[in-house]
Order: sequence, then C-alpha cells, then structure tokens
Amino acid sequence: MNTFQYLRPESLEELFAMMATHGSNARLLAGGTDLLVRLRKGSSKAQAVIDLKRISALRSDVTRTASGIRIGARAVMTDIIDDPPVQEHFPALREAALVVGSVQIRNRATLSGNVCNASPAADTAPALLAYGARINLIGASGPRQVAMDQFFSGPGRTVLADGEIVESIDLALPAAGTGAAFERLTRRHGVDLAIVSVCCVVSGRRARFGLGAVGPRPLVVDDESGILSDDRADPARRDTTLRQLLAAASPISDLRAHDDYRAAMLHVLARRALNAATERMRGRRDTA
Amino acid sequence: MIGTSIPRVGGFERVSGSQQYTADIRLDNALHVKLVSLSCARARIQAIHTADAAAAPGVRAVFTASECPHPMPRFGPVRADRPLLAIFETKFSGEPICVVAADTEDQAASAASLVRVEFEERAPVLDVKSALDPASALVQDPALRPNDPLAHTNILQEWQFGWGSVEQASADLIIEHDYSFPMVTHFAIEPHAFLAAPDANGVTVWSPTQHPYVLQRVVAATLGLPLSSVRIIAPDSGGGFGGKGWPKFEPLLAWLALALGRPVRLVLSLEEAFQAARRTSAHIHARTGFTRNGRIVFQDIRADFLLGAYADIGGRVVSKASYAACGPYRTPHARVLARALLSHTTPSTAFRGFGTPQASWAVESQLNEAAAALGIDPVEIRRRNVPAKGESFIPDDTPADGEWATALERASTAIGWDTKRPAHHGRGISIGLKSSSTASRSVAIVRLHFDGSATVLCGTSDMGQGARTVLTQIAAQELGLAAERIAIVMGDTAVVPYDSSTSASRSTVFMGNAVIRACESITTQLNTIAAAHSVREDAPRGDLLNVHFGPTRGEIIGIGEAGSAFEPSHPLGGRAAFWELMCAACEVRVDPETGAVSLLRLVLVSDVGKALNPRQVETQDEGAAVMGMGHTLMEQLILGADGRILNLGSLDYRIPSIKDIPASFESILIENGDGPGPYGSKGAGEGGTLAVAAAIGAAINEAAGVHLRELPLTPERIWRAMRETERNS
Amino acid sequence: MTITLVVNGTARTLDTPAHRTLLHVLRDDLNLTGTKECCAEGECGACTVLLNGRAVNACLVLGVECDGEDVRTIEGLGAGGRLDPLQNAFAESGAVQCGFCIPGMIVAARYLLSTNPNPSEEEVKEGLAGNLCRCAGYSRIISAVVRAAKA
Repeated sequence: MNTFQYLRPESLEELFAMMATHGSNARLLAGGTDLLVRLRKGSSKAQAVIDLKRISALRSDVTRTASGIRIGARAVMTDIIDDPPVQEHFPALREAALVVGSVQIRNRATLSGNVCNASPAADTAPALLAYGARINLIGASGPRQVAMDQFFSGPGRTVLADGEIVESIDLALPAAGTGAAFERLTRRHGVDLAIVSVCCVVSGRRARFGLGAVGPRPLVVDDESGILSDDRADPARRDTTLRQLLAAASPISDLRAHDDYRAAMLHVLARRALNAATERMRGRRDTA
Repeated sequence: MIGTSIPRVGGFERVSGSQQYTADIRLDNALHVKLVSLSCARARIQAIHTADAAAAPGVRAVFTASECPHPMPRFGPVRADRPLLAIFETKFSGEPICVVAADTEDQAASAASLVRVEFEERAPVLDVKSALDPASALVQDPALRPNDPLAHTNILQEWQFGWGSVEQASADLIIEHDYSFPMVTHFAIEPHAFLAAPDANGVTVWSPTQHPYVLQRVVAATLGLPLSSVRIIAPDSGGGFGGKGWPKFEPLLAWLALALGRPVRLVLSLEEAFQAARRTSAHIHARTGFTRNGRIVFQDIRADFLLGAYADIGGRVVSKASYAACGPYRTPHARVLARALLSHTTPSTAFRGFGTPQASWAVESQLNEAAAALGIDPVEIRRRNVPAKGESFIPDDTPADGEWATALERASTAIGWDTKRPAHHGRGISIGLKSSSTASRSVAIVRLHFDGSATVLCGTSDMGQGARTVLTQIAAQELGLAAERIAIVMGDTAVVPYDSSTSASRSTVFMGNAVIRACESITTQLNTIAAAHSVREDAPRGDLLNVHFGPTRGEIIGIGEAGSAFEPSHPLGGRAAFWELMCAACEVRVDPETGAVSLLRLVLVSDVGKALNPRQVETQDEGAAVMGMGHTLMEQLILGADGRILNLGSLDYRIPSIKDIPASFESILIENGDGPGPYGSKGAGEGGTLAVAAAIGAAINEAAGVHLRELPLTPERIWRAMRETERNS
Repeated sequence: MTITLVVNGTARTLDTPAHRTLLHVLRDDLNLTGTKECCAEGECGACTVLLNGRAVNACLVLGVECDGEDVRTIEGLGAGGRLDPLQNAFAESGAVQCGFCIPGMIVAARYLLSTNPNPSEEEVKEGLAGNLCRCAGYSRIISAVVRAAKA
C-alpha cells in the first residue's frame, strides 16, 4: 500500500476543511472494507485518508424519525441487522445486509459506505431502492436530501458533490400490509459477490423492484398496474408484465456470468422475490 | 496406540497461535525481497531501468538477469529449464524479471514499483490448440533441449502406454467423448514464504517445502555447491497439496543471500502464490468399447495436459496419471497416448491426485455414459469390471491389492442407491484409483535416550496430513512408550536423514516402515545389552541403560530404511507400492431454473489397509473430497487473451467455504490389513480428489437431464445445458 | 503516527506509518505472529482478531484506526494461563490439520459464542463463513465449536 496521511477529524467543520484542502486526493474512511482493498491494489490512490469514525455528529446507530427510521453514516451492517425496527419493518433490507461479506466484514462495513461505493452489485442497494430510501447529504454549503434512485450516476459514481458526504439514510415506514423479500444468486453458497440480486416490495397495488448487478448502476422499476401485486391474477399476464418491467435492465458479461444468464436469472429471482413478498404481505394481512 | 485417534501432535501449537510457520520466523538483519514482473504472459524484454528503484530509500540491491551469473543458472527438479530471473523474454504472467532487496517490506515494494521496463508484448500460447499449432511460438528455446527430437515443438514429452490391441478389439458399444479439466490453483491458506542466509558451510534456506532433500539437491545444483553446503530448514507448512513440493523461488533467494552476504526474506502474496503453481489442465478424448453386458473391451485415450512455461514436475504428472488412466477396471485392450504441452502460463506442478483427477473425470464419466446407453445400473457396470483382489489389471504391475468391489457396495448402500430419487435430485457414484509411490527411499533415525524417552528424526514434512502424529504413534507402539515420551524432529537436512519426498501418500508406508525398522534395531540392541548384563529383557529401559552406560550416560541409536528400488524397465521406474482407492457416492439437487447445485449427501469409502489414526484418515478423506468438490463445481483460473489471470486472488477465484460442504458427510474406511505399510496400512489422503468429480457430475447430469463434460460445473453451465436439452426435446 | 492500543489486555504504544494495517502492526511491530496473513482482502479470515470485542479482518483495518481501542488476538484468548475452551475443543476434535487458518477460525468462533452461546450447526456455518480452510476440515470445525459451546 502506498503511504498517505491519516486524518481523524472530530467535527464536520474539521472534516469539510480537510476535504477542501485535499480535494480529490482524499479518500473517506468509514468501515474500510472496500477502501483498503482498493488502496492495496492501487485501484484507488490517496494522499490523505480521512477517518469519519470520530465525528460525533455522524451517528453510528439507527434512530426513529417522525415517519420512519434514520440510519447514521457510521452504522455498520451488524447493528442494522440487529436493530428491532429494521427487523420489524424492513426485513428485506435485513436480508440484504446479512449477505454483505462475512461476519467480520459486517462488523466493520457501513451501509452508507456500501451505498457510496456505488458498485452495480452492491447487495444493499436493491433493498434501499425498493424501500424508497432517501439519502441525507451534508457539505460545507449545508444539507440536502436525494432520493435513492437519483443517487447513483454510474458504476462507482454518485451525485455527491465535492466536499459533500452522506450524513444518514432515511427510510419511511412502509404502509401496513406491505410485503418485501430479497433474492440473490451467487457462484457458491458461502460469502460471494452477487451474479444478480433483486429486492421486491409489494404494497397495495404497487410492486417495486430494486435490481442489482444487471446494469451500470443499481436500478429500481415499478409496477403500479396492480397485476403483480395480485397473486391471484392470470399467471401469464403477470409474467408478461414482469418481463416488460425487467426490460429496463441491461446486464453485461463479466467474470461472474454472461449477460444472457444474468438476464434469465433476473427474471427468475424477480419472480421469486415477488412471490415471497406477496406471500409475506398476505401473511401480514392475515395475522393483522 | 495403533488404530486410536490420538490428538494431533502439534495441535496445541496450532490452536494457541504459537506454531512458527516460515513467514513467522524473523532473521536479524534480513533484507526484504520483492519480485517485479510484467502484466502480460509473454514479452520480449528490451530494457529494464532500475536506477530510480536502486536510489529509493532503504534499497540494497536491484538485480535483473544481467546481474545474475553467466550463463544464467537454470533449475528444475527434472529439467534445469527455469532461470533465476527471466532472461530475454518473460514466459508467463508473474514470472519475475527483476528483484529488489530493501531494509523493509514497504521499501522493497515501493522501489519495485519504480522499476521501468521496456518490452514488446507477443502473442502467447495459452491453450492446447495453440500449443499444438505449428504456427505458434515456441515456449522454450530449443537450445535448452539438446538431442530432443521434439525440441522444435511445444510438446515437452509424449508417452504411449497400453497393452492388447485396441485396433483389433471389437465392441458392441463404443462411447466416445471429449472431457476437459480446468487450470486450478492450490490456494493453500499459507502463501509461500522463503528465507535464505549465508552460513559457515554455505547457505541455509527456510522453505515450507514438502521435499527438503529435493530442494537441497536443486539449490546445490543451481549454485554449483556440494550438498553439504546447502542446509534446508522446512518448517511445517500451512498447506501443501503439491504446491510446495518442487522448488519455486528458493534458488533465487539462496543466490541472493550469498551475493549480498545477508539474510533475505520473500513472502508471497496470495496473488503471487497463484502465479507460482497450479494444477495441470487437461483435454481428454476417450473412446471406450463395451460388450452388450457392460464389460469393458477396450479403452482408447488421448490425453493432452497443458503445462506452463517450465517443466517443473509436469512431465511426471502426465506420465504417471496416463499410465494408470484406465482406472480400477479390467481392460483387455488399452492404448493411452499422452502429451505434456508447454504454454505461456503458470508452471503447473504436483497437486493432490497428481494428474489422476483429470483422467478419472473422463474415464469414470465414460462408464456412466455406457451404463445409461446399455440400461445397466452405474453401480452394476462397475461391479462387472472391477478386478478381484490379487487380479492383475495393468500387465506387469502390482495387482489389485484391496477388495475394491466392497468399496463400491459400501458406498452404494450408504447412499441408499436404490431408493427413489425426488424430483430434481440425482445420484452419482465413481471410483478413483491412483498409482502410488514407485521408486523412492526413506530413512529414519530413532535415538533412545538413557532415561528411556526417544527422539525420532525423519525427513517427512507435516503439511497438515498429520505425519508427526502417525510416526509418533508407530514409534510409541514399537518402543512401548507413551506418545508424550517421544519427540519427533523433521524438516532440517542438517539433522534428519534422507527422504525422497512427502508426496504420493507415501510417508505412512515408507517412513512408517523406516521408523519400525529403526525401532527394531533398538530392540535388538537392547536385547543384546540385557543378555550381556544378565538383566531381564522386560526390565525398565531406564534401569537397563543406566546399568549399561554407567555414569558416562549414552544412547541407543537405531537406523531404519525403507523404499523401493528403481526399475529401469518399468515405464514409471517402478511398480506401484500400493493402489490408493476411493469410492464416492453423492446426491445433489439442481435448481431447475438457475442451475444452482446443492450437494446434499456425500459418502466416501476408502480402502486404507489399516487406519493408524482413524480420525486423521477421515479428515484427510473429507478434505480431499471438499477440494475435489471445488474443481468440480467452482474453481478455475480464467485467462485473458494476454495470458493474465483475470480472477487473480480470493475475490473471484472461489473455493468451497464452510457453507458449501455437503449437508451430510460420511467417511467409511475399509481395513483389511492388506497394505505394505506398518500394520498393513496403505497410503491415504488423495482419494477424495480422484473420485468426487465424476460422482457429482453424474448426479448433476441425472438431476438436470444434461451431459456435461467440461469442469467446473458452474450453475451457468448447467443452466445453459438444461436450456439446450429443452430446445432439443 | 504514535498510537496506543490495548492488545490482549496490555497497553502498547508504538509509532506506525498510517498505511500499515492492524495485521502488520500485530505481526511485525508487536511480534504477535499467531494472526495469519493470506488473502489480504477480507475474504479468507486468517487474520481475524477481536476489535473492541467484535471479529474483524485485521488486514482491512489500519493500525492508526485502532488508536485507543482494544484488540484481542489468538495469543490473548485464554485466561490465567489456560487455553480457551474453543482452543481445547479444536485440538481434541480433529479440527486442526495444517493449522494456518485455525487462529482466525478460533477467534471468529469466540466472537460467535459471545453473541450466541448455543449456536446450531447452521449458525456456526454462518458465523465462520468468512474463514476459509483449504484442508477443508470444516465438518470437524463445526463439531468443535458446538462441543466448546456445550463445555
């Protein structure tokens, strides 16, 4: 690994000043589980590494807001997985967080970091997209909020401006009777990178899918027709609707899979996620 | 003692973190070495600019081929074809062209990044087809192959084995297919590490090598030193599997230590370890003739094994595997044409199973295809062809030395072969057979100390297979001592006597017998002493030795030797000391939509003669089977057009994790005491890598209704084959 | 940069360059070589240590990040000169072959038992999914963890 300066701000003001000084030569360090791999391989170079972990203004927990929950920038996967409101209201996010690397990775990796790396295959992105997450950004010029589906601009790229960071992620509580599920395909049963991942959230007449590893960035597609959310609708019609919806994806071939396999698996996983989500929705309604 | 599963000798050190692996050893004043290589497989080296690197902080030396002795020293276990550093041309991705030595690891690494190379990239030979194409470049300079009629080809060597007449044999059914086996890498959790330091006699080299005496011979030959000037210290390795068998960077390190007059240290990254050793990939064309009732009439096999840029032990891998390629079956007519091909890829070397998994994948799959075509059960077709104990199945070689049909029965019973298979489930069965050690020698010294405790000195390496434990058990048994009263010393050529190698599952048999003979010598000496002093033979040893030696003290030394002689007329230089056999049966479920495979059950039955430590044998069998599962389902090195390994490292080269092991795992040992080793034992530990692929392959083919012949059987390949089947039906 | 970290219960102050990982601080600066290096990218788990009680890959943590933090390695797992029950269970259950993955495996198992004292086999698999063993003695490792949990 090349040498760099390690900076440890304790306030946002200090952070913004450091970011202003080092500009594009600085890398932000939260969990480090992606950054250190890239620094070692030289795919990311840094003159300064700025550690966010001592900034008390950035929270490391999940808090309640008026309309839902807020996940702090420093919250790690393990704590999100164990958080009771997440378990109760966002089971598919929990399922996605559970397959991010190993226990050792999840003890260190932050949700915000996973989002900021903007990997097309990021495991948590489909869930955040499908749940309609909103990202709270903060910079020297103040805070702003961006919808999750506006956040990614390409592989490894986000709409974060220079000097701006993710402060937290907001999730609004789903309406009563919402069902959600996460599905993923990998090359082995153990820890692996996704070939395809899908998160489906069904609520009322709407079925929303977050799709991972099938395009330059994670994407979200919506069906508002009520056909997909109705598991008693004509199966052929549902399948046609689903296929039309998934046509937005543009999978590529890489080391992990060929494009046609990805496309076919996207359909299979989306159907499975939809079925699991509608089943859960029904379960919730029945037990309510 | 024998036949009990005593805890592993060295277990405490390994669980407490105190075990010293090579990279854990610190030498005072050592320089850290970093290798520089190009990012492509083949290039003409035009100029290497080292001035910036040499001027960097802490750098003590930057050497290229120009600074090496002239002519360039070359090394190899069989052929001295590999230079210390690439000269004129780099021949595989990762081949070092320059080496930097600096005070710290960081300094060496950062200086290495300052080395600038002018080079002209050239088209590499990366597969069997291009290796055989006369228009392709020659991987090796013909000057390195004097008097070799194949010197102007990329064929390193070719062999023909066989008997009878395949041409004249007539069969009711002929099955003919092509099979392929990928390049896979050992992926020991301990990447290679090497240290070297000048000493009073010459040079000492520390390496996790499996064969200290091979390394001593090769380092001495490369540097023009007598054997007595080269001391090899081989700490127990963190996984060998063949990947640490044959010399890698030790000759370079030894030369550097002498040239710089200082200790040097090189610890490979996992990525560098991937580029240091791999399994030979293979294309196998198999034509097998059967009678109507499923008896094999002939086997006609053409095997092309793709080696890397240097021979390493690759030729022996090919010849040994091809010689016994027909498997554990009566084959009236056999013809095996095998070629070892050079390419611009990582030098291939020994890897658990030593070429046999490649052949076994083809031959066992052929039997399954024939069974289906003839409407005979896969267990039954094997039953009809397996030789009985004592029956010759390769002319002029060791006859079947176990009850192999029993292994088949035990495996099929355990898996419930005849019970109904649920939808999308499939079962498969396969037998793997490997020719073991041929000509080799092992020597052991046992020292009985005057207090009645003993030290065993031997050149075997314990790389996890548990040699320390088993050899301790043998000595304890023979000397009538508790295991705690025995110290076992290995891995130092200045201390332990000669041993050919720790390979081919040979140590329990050969080193075990050597230890027994050394102990017998001690017993004989003790009996003589007892008679001379008129002491009863069953008197306590300590008392006897005290009486014998008196106040000067002393010790009794026993030397034992075991091995088998070189037979020049035998195609392999000697008959198999024993046959290593495993039968594997499994059940899988294939997801009909994704092709994902779940391995539900795996049964392993091996014929081990006698399990000296049953738990160790079982864990070896299970580990080998999981490793076999890796090359069956997920492992493969993927090369780019420039010959770089695209999935270099642990992120995209997948090996089985704890979540990938079979849901149910059963190891069964057949013990008839019919082996040539101590107490009737045979070697074990490689079987799982032989038998698993064809068993899983058959199960997948049944579950998914496909015919896959190219490993690994990834979900995508299975899915593609299922779609193909759908389209055709 | 000068940092102070508590390693296996003892405060250690040392000077380390910023880019040095915790793994190298432990192995090279503090000579605690029980923690092993293999993949250096968080895939193999051979370098697993407890950082403030949580299992992490020491290859993915900078030494400077641990300033003021508590680190426990395989060498510091036992107490009062005795091995941790997991260490005994591994040695006695045939879970150890070459042993190179074992320190990381045991530390990960210690973390698992600290969060789930009575894990099922499936939970053990999940807890150790980040630790590769190429000798592949996984089934014996699972039994060792279950056995240690019951001890």
